[in-house]
Amino acid sequence: MTTKLIRPMAAIVIAASLAMAPQAMAADAAAMQKLLQEVQALKKSYETRTADLEKKLKQLKASQTKKSAKATARSGSARDIKDNSFNPSIGVILNGRAASFSRGTSEIAGFGVGEEGERGSEGLSLGESELNFSANVDDKFYGSLTAAIVREDGEDKIELEEAYIQTLPGAALPDGARAKAGRAFWTFGYLNEHHSHSDDFADRPLTNRVYLNGSFNDDGAEFSYVLPTDIYAEIGGGVFRGDDFPGGGSVSGLGSWSAFARTGGDIGDNQSWRLGVYTLRSDANSRQSNEETVTFVGESNLYATDVRYTMAPTGNARDQELIFQAELMYRDDDGTYNDTNAGTGTLSYDESSFGWYAQATYKFAPAWRVGARYARLHAADTPAGFAGSALDSQGHDPETYSLMGDWTNSEFGRFRLQYNRENLDKGKADNQFIFQYIMSIGAHGAHAY
Amino acid sequence: MKKSLGVVLAVAWGMTLSSPAAADLRVFACEPEWAALARDVGGEKIKAFSATHKMQDPHHIRARPSLIAQIRRADLVFCSGADLEVGWLPLLMQRGARSGVQPATTGYLMAADHVPVLEKPAVLDRSLGDLHPGGNPHVHLDPRNLAILANELSRRLIQIDPPNTDYYRKRLELFQREWQSAMDSWQSRVTKLAGLPVIVHHKSYTYLINWIGLKEVTTLEVKPGIPPTASHLNGLLQTARSEKVKAILRTPYDPADASRWLSSKTGVAALTLPYTVDKNAPPGALANLFDRTITLLEQVHAGP
Repeated sequence: MTTKLIRPMAAIVIAASLAMAPQAMAADAAAMQKLLQEVQALKKSYETRTADLEKKLKQLKASQTKKSAKATARSGSARDIKDNSFNPSIGVILNGRAASFSRGTSEIAGFGVGEEGERGSEGLSLGESELNFSANVDDKFYGSLTAAIVREDGEDKIELEEAYIQTLPGAALPDGARAKAGRAFWTFGYLNEHHSHSDDFADRPLTNRVYLNGSFNDDGAEFSYVLPTDIYAEIGGGVFRGDDFPGGGSVSGLGSWSAFARTGGDIGDNQSWRLGVYTLRSDANSRQSNEETVTFVGESNLYATDVRYTMAPTGNARDQELIFQAELMYRDDDGTYNDTNAGTGTLSYDESSFGWYAQATYKFAPAWRVGARYARLHAADTPAGFAGSALDSQGHDPETYSLMGDWTNSEFGRFRLQYNRENLDKGKADNQFIFQYIMSIGAHGAHAY
Repeated sequence: MKKSLGVVLAVAWGMTLSSPAAADLRVFACEPEWAALARDVGGEKIKAFSATHKMQDPHHIRARPSLIAQIRRADLVFCSGADLEVGWLPLLMQRGARSGVQPATTGYLMAADHVPVLEKPAVLDRSLGDLHPGGNPHVHLDPRNLAILANELSRRLIQIDPPNTDYYRKRLELFQREWQSAMDSWQSRVTKLAGLPVIVHHKSYTYLINWIGLKEVTTLEVKPGIPPTASHLNGLLQTARSEKVKAILRTPYDPADASRWLSSKTGVAALTLPYTVDKNAPPGALANLFDRTITLLEQVHAGP
């Protein structure tokens, strides 16, 4: 700024001197010569002074920059580390496995099973690699997108697991209320709303495989409300498109709805529990299963209850913890089934079945856990026309025994070995070994209870 | 039909459960020290709940249902901040969906936002351990920080509950007068402890060490949050001797094996300092915390 001022000032002074020069010329040539010399001298002196000033200014600026650089460096180490709040958080889950099965197929007698409910591929394979982006949209909304890259039929495909927006607290809704819209792992039992990478076992239990085709993440919207009570109590419900299992082939685009209620609390300082009841009702226009050979059309109503209990002897779940978890699901199918493989034709069907699992995991050292799980399905009666079809359980109730052990290096990396003994079809036991790693890089949100 | 009855019942049940005595201000403290300070400064006008107890490592807490219920009705959330609770508080905030206690509101008080924070890392990388980008969050073990936070807390209480302004002002004045005189007496005791070389398990005592002027030689943890290994501990044997370390400090929630092992090999005292107060501590507990801590350090200083 100072340089900018000095230059015009010098120019004005010089110009003024030159303007006065002609009057002097008329008087005396010698005097004019002298004057000119004086003006030149003046000009020169201004020029040198200006240059001087400019030089000084440059030096001053340089030293200031140095100082401020020092200051920035200092504050850099002591403060001002910016997070990337203005960009979405990015998280990646890397997941790979090796599996060996003793039985060729994994059909579950008596049940139509969707693609995600199957047991996964044998040998070496990548599991679901997840890519997550999430951030607050503005003061009122949060947005999240999770894509899973999976290998299906020899091709890598992107499955959109979740893409939803959710209200932030204080966003016009009353306290305790939340609304979520888009596609998400909706509230139904314990496991469904969790991503599979946070599961305690390498595969989902029979209940979730059969009744939810792995997980229910239809397009839709859900609302929930935490009551202002001393003890935790939450109620909610949602409406969904009806395309995802247990719905399917939605025509109206509004084929399923749900409702739930949950409560929970602590017992003393180091034990907690949660209990929930849920329903999910679907009007299935065309629910495909068993590699699209079995089709159900009609009303499919699911009911579930779940319980979870955790106990950390010192209060520090990171060091030692016992977790008990169980879910029970009951399904009532009223409509028609058609098994094209067995050539049953479209026959009416009104039966119910239920299944449950119970599991316990025990962390005996900060890095080590062991777990056991038992899952069982109680098949529906087989109506006359379905004898010999996929829906014929032949009086057998599918069951699975699982044992797992895992090693956790940090909260971001885990290896797991699991043994399953599945008796899914009468007299056909399947011994399975699964080795798995799950790693997380980048931002990774906390897991819900 | 059946379902709507269920909802009605659930709501009715919820209403009967909500406590009728809602006149008090509810303070949700992430750690017992902040619940204690809230009781000291807020007196009988507040009801403070601590999400953790003194045997719990506040870095790793489950976002359990009872905490959602507590935050759902909180008027003020009072935590250490600087990402200490980053693994669970944001989830509780989102699930509890209480508008008045969200970040940047009056009801959201993070201690580390109001005191000079130490140890802000220059480089962030998970291979360096469990770093806190916001600096060391264990700010409560410097009594000067508690004096600053008492003022801030009182200011917030007055903003949230203006009718009791006079009460909070008087209460704060009383607290600060007592705290100042306590600090004067501690100051005269801790000057003797300055320069005492110590090893810590985790960097939980940075503010205490900084205040007293103890010499923190090293940590038992390899890197922040990464548990001690045999090779790392072996390396510390020499350090402990050459630096003439007087005590190996740990919190009640740190595992004891590493400091016991080093103590048995070197003869240096393994000392569990209280770190914080009881979850439901009565007013005055914080002053006792400093008294007790200084006494324990004095004993080590005096030697066996």
